[in-house]
Amino acid sequence: MPWIPICIIAIMVSMALFAPLLAPYSPIDQTLRDKLIPPFWVDGGGIDHVLGTDAFGRDMLSRLIYGARVSLIVAALALTAGGGVGLLIGIVSGYFGGAVDNALMRLVDAAFTFPAILFALLLAVTMGQGLGTLVLAISLLLWASFARVIRGEVLSLKQRDFVALAKVRGCSSARIMLTHILPNVLNTFMVLVTLNIGVVIIAEASLSFLGAGIPPPTPTWGLMVSDGRGRIAEAWWVSLIPGIAITLLVLSVNVFGDWLRDRLDPRLRQL
Amino acid sequence: MGQRRVYKIWAVAAALAVLLWQPAAAQTQKGTLVFAVESLSAQTLDPILEGRPGNAIYQAAMYDSLVGFDVDKGGIGPGVAEWWELSDDGLLWTFHLRKGLKFHNGDPVTAHDAKFSLERQMSEPSLASAKATLRRIVKSIEAVDDLTLRIEMASPQIGLPSSLSRAVATEGAIMPKAYIEKVGEEEFRKKPIGSGPWKFVRSVPGDRIEFEAVDYPHFRGTPHFKELHILLVPEESTRVSMVRTGEAAIASIGPESLQSAARGGLQVLSVPGTMQAVFQFWGAYRPEFKDSPIAKPRVRQALSLAIDRKQIIEHVMNGKASMPYPFAAFGYTEYFNAPKWKKWSEEAYRYDPAAAKQMLAEAGYPNGFELNFLNTALPGTQFMTDVGTAVADMWNKAGIKVNIKNYEWGSFAPLSRGDQPQLAGNASMYRTVGRPDMPWRYDGGFAVTSEHHLLGDKVNCDATCQEFGKIYNDLLAERDPAKRTELTDRMVELVANTWIAVPILEGMGYYAVNAGKAGQFAAIPGRHELGDVFERIPRPDEKPWKK
Amino acid sequence: MKRYIVYRLLQGVVLLCLVATIVFFLGRLTGNPVDLMLPEDATPADRMAMIKALGLDGSLFQQFTIFVGNALHGDLGTSIRMRQPAVEAFFSRLPNTLAIIPWALLLAMCVGIPLGVIAALNRGNMIDRAAGTVAVLGIAMPSFWLGILLIYVFSVELGWLPSGRMGGPEHYVLPVITLGAFLVAGFMRLVRSSMLEVMESEFVKLARIKGLSESVVIWKHCLRNALVPVLTLWGVFVGNLITGAIVTETVFAWPGIGRLTYEAVIFRDFPLLQAVIILKAILILSINLVVDILYAYVDPRIRLA
Repeated sequence: MPWIPICIIAIMVSMALFAPLLAPYSPIDQTLRDKLIPPFWVDGGGIDHVLGTDAFGRDMLSRLIYGARVSLIVAALALTAGGGVGLLIGIVSGYFGGAVDNALMRLVDAAFTFPAILFALLLAVTMGQGLGTLVLAISLLLWASFARVIRGEVLSLKQRDFVALAKVRGCSSARIMLTHILPNVLNTFMVLVTLNIGVVIIAEASLSFLGAGIPPPTPTWGLMVSDGRGRIAEAWWVSLIPGIAITLLVLSVNVFGDWLRDRLDPRLRQL
Repeated sequence: MGQRRVYKIWAVAAALAVLLWQPAAAQTQKGTLVFAVESLSAQTLDPILEGRPGNAIYQAAMYDSLVGFDVDKGGIGPGVAEWWELSDDGLLWTFHLRKGLKFHNGDPVTAHDAKFSLERQMSEPSLASAKATLRRIVKSIEAVDDLTLRIEMASPQIGLPSSLSRAVATEGAIMPKAYIEKVGEEEFRKKPIGSGPWKFVRSVPGDRIEFEAVDYPHFRGTPHFKELHILLVPEESTRVSMVRTGEAAIASIGPESLQSAARGGLQVLSVPGTMQAVFQFWGAYRPEFKDSPIAKPRVRQALSLAIDRKQIIEHVMNGKASMPYPFAAFGYTEYFNAPKWKKWSEEAYRYDPAAAKQMLAEAGYPNGFELNFLNTALPGTQFMTDVGTAVADMWNKAGIKVNIKNYEWGSFAPLSRGDQPQLAGNASMYRTVGRPDMPWRYDGGFAVTSEHHLLGDKVNCDATCQEFGKIYNDLLAERDPAKRTELTDRMVELVANTWIAVPILEGMGYYAVNAGKAGQFAAIPGRHELGDVFERIPRPDEKPWKK
Repeated sequence: MKRYIVYRLLQGVVLLCLVATIVFFLGRLTGNPVDLMLPEDATPADRMAMIKALGLDGSLFQQFTIFVGNALHGDLGTSIRMRQPAVEAFFSRLPNTLAIIPWALLLAMCVGIPLGVIAALNRGNMIDRAAGTVAVLGIAMPSFWLGILLIYVFSVELGWLPSGRMGGPEHYVLPVITLGAFLVAGFMRLVRSSMLEVMESEFVKLARIKGLSESVVIWKHCLRNALVPVLTLWGVFVGNLITGAIVTETVFAWPGIGRLTYEAVIFRDFPLLQAVIILKAILILSINLVVDILYAYVDPRIRLA
C-alpha cells in the first residue's frame, strides 16, 4: 500500500474539512501593513504568521488551509458532474451500440477537437468568473475522456455470458445497465476518478493563471501560485508554498491511483 | 477676416525645440534598443487600423503627428505643425507646418499629406476611434499651400489641436499621400513609410516589430541607437527576467513587479500622472434609488473618507503612485489651477474613519449598509483590481457589507451601455487616463448624452445635472484663457462635490530598465507609452544612470 | 481500407460543421470586440461607426449566413483586431507551434519509455513506485509555474538560457522541457501496461523456453511489441499540444497558435476565433486519421476488425 501518498491525501482532506478550526486567521482579512512577511524560519518572520503573509497581508497558512477546501470542493463537484455524465454516456453508448453509439462517440470526438482550456475561457468571459463557471468548465473537460474509457469497458463486458443470460431472462435494458454493467465498470470509474483529481487541480491553476478561475478574494491554491509568480525572487513563499502543496497532492493522488489501477486491472491501457 | 489671434508662443517654442532637438550632425548610432511590452494590439503599421495603445507604443516610432508633445510638461506642443491659430469666430483653424520634413522615401512632408491623412482617418474603412466625432465637427480641410493647412469646423472646437496630438488621440498621424496613391493600400501595409525618426524594417506577427534609425537629424530627436526592436512578451515575470538577463533593455511592468525589478538590480522608471484609479456610482440619480444609501452625497463622501489612500499607495502600488487631484485632473491639465486644487484634494481625500462613521450615522446608516461593488481593470492597468480589492476591504472594515465581484474588462465594458441594468445602484472601479484637455472626459462621464451619464439622463436631470450641462457648454465656447480657467474650476468643483466619481490615486506608468543596455532617460509626463521617447533614449555609455 | 478512410472523412466533415456552429454562436455570446478597441471615453456615435466599419451590424442569423457562405469558399473571415484574413493569421503562426511539438514528444519519449520499462520490470516494488512518482511529477506541477521556475533558475540566476521568445536552439530548451514534462506520465503508464501485457504473452514464454537470454527477450521481443500502442498516444498528444499550449506560449512569449487563440477570446475577435478552432479541428482530425491508418498497418488485428 502506498502509505505516504495516503497520509498526504488524508492530511489535505482534513485541512479541507476542518478549515475553520485549524486556520489561525481569516483567509481574506487584509492588513496591508503586514504584507509579505516571510515564514517563521526565515529572517523577519515570526510565529505570528507561521508561513508568512502575501501581498495583501493575508496569512498564508490560513489561506492554504481554506484553499484546500476550495480545491477539493471544485474537484468533488467537477468529478461528480463530469465523471457522472461521462459514466452515463459511456454505459449507454457501449451497451446500445449502433446509431446511438455512433452519435454519442461523434459528440465525444467533437469534445476532443475543441480545445478544453479555450472552452473554459469562453465560459468565464460569458458567465463571469466563479465557482459554478469553473466547475462547469472543468466538467466539460472531463466527461469525454470518461465516456470513451467506460464505453471501451462496456463493449467488452457486453460480450460476456452473464449479460446474455440477463437478456434471455427478459430483463429490460435499463435494468441490465444498472444492475449488471454498472457495478462492473465501477472499478474503472474509481481509477479514473482518482487519476483525474490531479487534472482538475492543475486545470484550476492554469485557468487562474489565464484569468478565468475563481476570482479573488477566495483563496484557491491555483490563484495563490498565480498571484505570487512575479515575486519568486524576493517573496518566494507566496508562490512556492501553495505550488508545493499542489504538487504533493497531485503526486499522491496519482501514485495512489496508479496503485489502484494496478491492483484492479493492469490491462486498462487507455488510462 | 478680422483680427487674427496668433499663438506666438508656439513659434518661439518651436524655434527653441528645433534648436534643442538638433544634435550635432556627426552623431554615431550604435547598437539595438530592445523594448519588451505586454501587447502589440493589432500589430499593424497602418495608422487607420490600429487603436490608441498600439499607435502610442509602436506606430509612434515611425509616424509623426500633426500636433506633438511638450516633452517636459506633458501637454501638447509642436509636431509636424510648428504653430497654429484660431480665427476669431472660432471656426477656422490654420496649422503652419515646419519646413524640410521628409518621409522615409525622400518625399517631402506637405500640407497635402496632412489633408490626405486626416481624410483617410475619416474614411469608411478607417477604424479610428474618433472617426464619427471628427466627421461631425470637421466641415472641410484645405491645403492652402505646401506648408499651410486650414480646417474649417462645423461648430467652435477649441480642443482640435489636442485631438490631433498623440497626447490624446491617434488621428493626427501623418501618412505619405504620394506613396500610398502610387503603391495602393495593400502594399502600403506591407511596406509602410512615415516621417518619424525610425524606419520600418519588419514585423513578425505575434513576436516583434523592428525599426531602423534614420540617419539624418529629426525634430523629435535623432536616435542614439541604430535599431529599435519592440518585442511582444505577454507574461510580466518573463519580461522582468528578460531585462535582468539583458535580452531586453526596457520592459513595461506593473507596480507588483517594482520590488522584484529593484531587487534584481534594475533601474525603475515611473512616469507620473498617466492615469487615475477611481470609483464611481452608477445611476444614483434615478428615482428608484432615491431611498438608497448611494443616492446621498454625504454617504458617498463617507465612503471616500473611509479609504486610506496612503496605505494603498504604499502597499499596493509599492509607493509609486500619488494622491490624486480631483477627477480627471493632473498637474499638467490645461486651464487648471493645479496648486489650489492640490491643497483642496489633500483635505478632501484624506483618511478620516471617524468622520466617515459619523456621516454614515447622520445619514441614517449607523450600522452600515450593503453595497455591490464591481471590480475591474482596464487594459494596461491590471493593478486596478488590486486597488479595488483593498478599497472593498477598507469599506468592510468601516461597516459596509461589500459584495465584490470581479469582471474581466471585456465583460464589464458592455454593461455601461443602454440602461445599465447590472450597474445602476452599484459602485464600480473605473479609470481616467492622463490627457491635458479635461472637459472631454467630463463630457464622457457626466453629460446627459454620454454613455456613462453619471449625473442624470434625458428623463431625470436635476439641478446639478443641468448646471453641469450649462457650465460645460459655456466652457466649450469660451476663448478667453482666464475665463476658461474659471469655468473649469466651477466644473471641477461641481462634480467633486457630488462625490459621484471619486479618484482613489494617481497612477503611473512603470518600466524596468537594464542600466547596461540603455542610458538614463525621462519619459513624457502623463504619457504612459514610450512611442515618442525611444529616439531620445541615450546609450549607456553616453549617459549612465546616476545612483 | 478505402471505405474506412472515406467513412472517417465524412465523419470529420460532420464534426467540423458541428464545431463551427458551436463556435460561431458561443463566440458571439461573449461580448463585442468594439468595446475593447475603443478608449473608455468614446462617444456612442463613434461606437456605432466602428461597428459598421467592422461589419458587425446585422442580425446574428445574417452574420451566420455570410459566415457559412464565405467558409465554403475557403474564406474564414478577417480578423477584427489584426485586419488580415484569419486563415493567414493562423498559418503564419502555426509553424511556430509545430516547430516545438516534435521535440516535446521526443523528450517525453526519451524519459517516459525507459521509466515505463523499468517500472514494468520491477513491478510492485519500490523502484516501480519511484519510477511512477518521477513520471507523474510532470503532471503534478502547473505548467506555468514550472515554466516560470525554470526561467528563474536557468535564465535569471544561472544565465545559461534565454528567458523566452523564439530563436536559436537555446530558446527551445525551456519551452520543450515545460511542454514535454506534461507528456512523460502518459508514455510511462502506457509502456508499463503494455510491457506487462506482452511479458505475460505466449510468444514471450516461448522465447524464454527456447532459452534466449533475458535481456534479448526483453529488449528484442517485449519492447518492440509494447511500443506499438505508443503510436496512439502521438495522436492524442499532438492534438493536446496543438490545442493546449496556451500557457507555455504565454510564459515563454512563443508566437504560436495557442497564444493566438487566447488573444482571440480575450479580444472577442470572432472571425479569428472561429477560424482558429475550425482549422485546429481539421488539423487534429487529419492527424488522428493518419495515426489510425498507421496503426492499422502496424497492427494487423485492427485492420481486419
